[in-house]
Amino acid sequence: MTLYFLKRLIGIVLILFVMSLLVFGITQIMPGNVATILAGQFADASTVAAIEQRLGLNDPAYLQYWRWFSGVVVGDFGQSLVMERPVLPLILEAFASSAILAGLAFVLVTVFGITLGVVAAVRENRFSDHAVSVFSYIGISVPEFFWGIVAILVFARYLGWLPSGGAGNLNDGVLAWVSHLVLPVITLTFTLIAHVSRLTRSSMIDTLRSQYVRNARAKGLPEGHVIRRHALRNALLPTITVLAIDVGWLMGNIVVVEAVFSYPGIGRLLLFAIERHDLPLIQAGILLIAAVYCFANLIADILYGYFNPKIRYGHAAS
Amino acid sequence: MSDILLEIENLDLAYDTPRGTLKALDGVGMSIRAGETVAVVGESGSGKSTVALSVMGLLGSEATLSGSIRYQGRELVGMPAEARRLLRGRAIGMVFQDPFTSLNPSLTIGEQVSEPLVFHHGMDKRAALERSIAALGEVGLPDPAALVTVYPHQLSGGMQQRVLIATAIVCDPKVLILDEPTTALDVTVEAQILDLLDRLRRDRGLGMMFITHNLGVVNRIADTVCVLYAGRLIERGAKNAVLGAPAHPYTKGLLASLPKLSDAGRTRRIAPIPGRFPDLTEPPEGCVFADRCPFVEARCREPQALAAIDDGRLVRCWKSDDLPGWPEAAAVARRPGRSRSGTLLRTDRLTKVFRRGKIGGGIEWKRKFGVFPWPETRTEAVNAVDGISLEVGRGEVVGLVGESGSGKSTFGRTVLRLTNPTSGGITLDGDEIADKPEQELGSLRKRAQIVFQNPDSSLNSRRRVGDAIARAVSLHTNVPAHRRREHCEDLLDRVGLPRGYYDRYPHQLSGGEKQRVGIARAIATEPEFIVCDEPVSALDVSVQATVLNLLDDLRDELGLSYLFISHDLSVVAYIADRIAVMYSGRICEVGPTEAVLQPPYHPYTEALLSAVPLPTPGEEFGERVKLRGDRPPSASERTGCPFHTRCPRSLGALCETTPPPVIEPAPGHRIACHLDIGELNSLPPLQIPRTRKAS
Repeated sequence: MTLYFLKRLIGIVLILFVMSLLVFGITQIMPGNVATILAGQFADASTVAAIEQRLGLNDPAYLQYWRWFSGVVVGDFGQSLVMERPVLPLILEAFASSAILAGLAFVLVTVFGITLGVVAAVRENRFSDHAVSVFSYIGISVPEFFWGIVAILVFARYLGWLPSGGAGNLNDGVLAWVSHLVLPVITLTFTLIAHVSRLTRSSMIDTLRSQYVRNARAKGLPEGHVIRRHALRNALLPTITVLAIDVGWLMGNIVVVEAVFSYPGIGRLLLFAIERHDLPLIQAGILLIAAVYCFANLIADILYGYFNPKIRYGHAAS
Repeated sequence: MSDILLEIENLDLAYDTPRGTLKALDGVGMSIRAGETVAVVGESGSGKSTVALSVMGLLGSEATLSGSIRYQGRELVGMPAEARRLLRGRAIGMVFQDPFTSLNPSLTIGEQVSEPLVFHHGMDKRAALERSIAALGEVGLPDPAALVTVYPHQLSGGMQQRVLIATAIVCDPKVLILDEPTTALDVTVEAQILDLLDRLRRDRGLGMMFITHNLGVVNRIADTVCVLYAGRLIERGAKNAVLGAPAHPYTKGLLASLPKLSDAGRTRRIAPIPGRFPDLTEPPEGCVFADRCPFVEARCREPQALAAIDDGRLVRCWKSDDLPGWPEAAAVARRPGRSRSGTLLRTDRLTKVFRRGKIGGGIEWKRKFGVFPWPETRTEAVNAVDGISLEVGRGEVVGLVGESGSGKSTFGRTVLRLTNPTSGGITLDGDEIADKPEQELGSLRKRAQIVFQNPDSSLNSRRRVGDAIARAVSLHTNVPAHRRREHCEDLLDRVGLPRGYYDRYPHQLSGGEKQRVGIARAIATEPEFIVCDEPVSALDVSVQATVLNLLDDLRDELGLSYLFISHDLSVVAYIADRIAVMYSGRICEVGPTEAVLQPPYHPYTEALLSAVPLPTPGEEFGERVKLRGDRPPSASERTGCPFHTRCPRSLGALCETTPPPVIEPAPGHRIACHLDIGELNSLPPLQIPRTRKAS
């Protein structure tokens, strides 16, 4: 277990390094540069050249990368070129709002996805199973932004119950704050609940057919205990892995959802940065997302080990 | 009759399937008394496990059950589910076949053994755990108090099966149902478990229903035998009567198709049961066995009733009174001791070492790609094959026996270079092949082939049978393309399959037919040498006989040599000219079959032989050898003789430290043991009853 943890930590550092190289490379080959944007539409060539000079954009790529990299290693993510403010607080602030959105969505996905999947599996081929299946297929086959737009039309435009976008301020009361979150969170969770419940269902059905569940029943244990204590623990192993992968999916979709609901989070900040070629901001944002994803997977693997004694204790001689 | 615990009468069971109603059980009946062991015998599809699940009330909702199952007079059929549940585990305990999958991998042993007490007797967890420790001790597990915190994967198969038995008896049930409890275990471990079950039956006065396909196990443990075929009870009676003088043709056939260890059994060709199992969605109106029965007459097509014969036995056959014995396979006697001419294959101190993570070995820092620091577990070497020198003569069958983990399959694969040896030599017909690069092994691949254990997974389910064989033909022979199909059909013919099977897919074939395809594929390259890796272990007894006979015939017709790997001594003794006994990567004894089967032999051979359950009543080994423990030595214990950790005849320090010398009691018969020849000579032999009853 410790060994595994060590390997993964080393792996994460390597992944983040490769990610930074990739992102840097892509921003280098993107057409246009930050200087033309900073100088404005009507600036002449010499102004642009001066800005390029000031920002060091004419230096060779490796030198630019090294300048950025050496800063990051000591915790200095540099200045946003466009906003002329330090990158770190900018990113962290945006990330915090996104984290609320994503965190809520993730909790809902976990709770509802697993519950629906287990219910469907236990009541295999009965009405509740078919209902969950229909719901899942609809959820999986239609993209998020479509539900986002539908939700805005119905609940914000037509019924007028909820705001259509932006973020609430806690100073205006908890209700106002929550009301801004409802639609984006629901939009984010819909597909993922479908995804997780399908997977939990099939894994639970396999487990319920296993020899050890049959053996537990032969001992005369109540069915509820068999499901909760004997089946669920083992059935959740694949779900844990998929939930971690879904964190990545969540990070991707949050960009779309934040755009649809004009929610001020990391997704919108990244879009803003990419449009303006604000390299330090892009780099920091993407590294942060990659790091979140890596650590989500690490946590999933640790949980996996916790639920699976074979990994926790290593294989004994047999 | 107040001591009848469980009584089953006229049990019918039907499943709704897309192809119609499947009658899984039809008029099954039996009774179990306190202290009695009733064996339920049958091949796969006979419905023997279904009987157990019916009694437990564990059938799915798609099954329709009718008839009567009474536990101490209480009717179980139609009883509400909750009341059934309360009887499970408390009144009737059950142990399933495969211990490796029957324990929950993520719960401790303690919890799994004690939870029935919590639910059935309302005990608190600590008291339940105390009782569980006592039960674990009762089933013969060492240090039961430490065991309760352990997880299933940390135990060996034999220990896991003991845990399952402890779980089944912890609530003191009166009836214990055992569904093939020893089938997944090695023969020496099987013997220990059978002893344990017999002791529990006596101590607790348990009524046991023992479900098995193995007639030898039946002979060892049962009082009464029920033989099932296609969901019908076809014969029921006292064990000695049923096994000693079977009345129903199917029972006769089953016994005749078993390879026997005795000399008389080995030299006579075994007689298989021809034909296929009936389709139970359209069961025949008359006798279900009529299509395969050599004594069939017109009256057999009428429904058959169970009728009592002289000794109180029940038989479902109208003419069981005057039947001859099972026809002895057209009375073709086997030719024992065929001569070999020269050596075909020779291995010289062949060794295969695997590395595996060492438990508690800690972490070692290495460099990955020479740059990054990278942690690894310390590994230890496992000598799966440890310096084996063996010869296979041209036209000879060498049997390789050993328990699981002894390295016999690894040896078979290494000989064929399916895995590469760590060291040592392999010569095929004088040609050194141990370290030839793969590109130069073309002729080996043609000349040496393999037949695998599991025909279901060794055939590609998406390719037609003919294509699988044709591939081997096109790669290794110069049969022209336009003649290839005909050639493959000839091969199908040769292994006894209809030529039309060329266009079938594997799932359309039965297990025995698939194994025939596997054999056809192996002989397609016109090999001289075939490694048969447990080729009949996955097959039913009656099918096993046909495949064994086929292999035996092909060997004569094509002049083949086999390395025949099996855990089943009777099978190996039937087909092999010489036997090599393997333990923990080494050969402890090798010699001509008849020499290995009687003293002088290695103590491990003795233990193996004495553990084999023999199906003939009265045929017994002089003295059952009890081995210590149930697992091969760990890496640190592999000093001296690898068998010293379990050997009942160990001489102590000498065996633990010094590798045993090889003694040669007769030319070609070699035993690696510290005991001197006199002691080995005085080991008890197999007891064969002098007067064999005609069956």
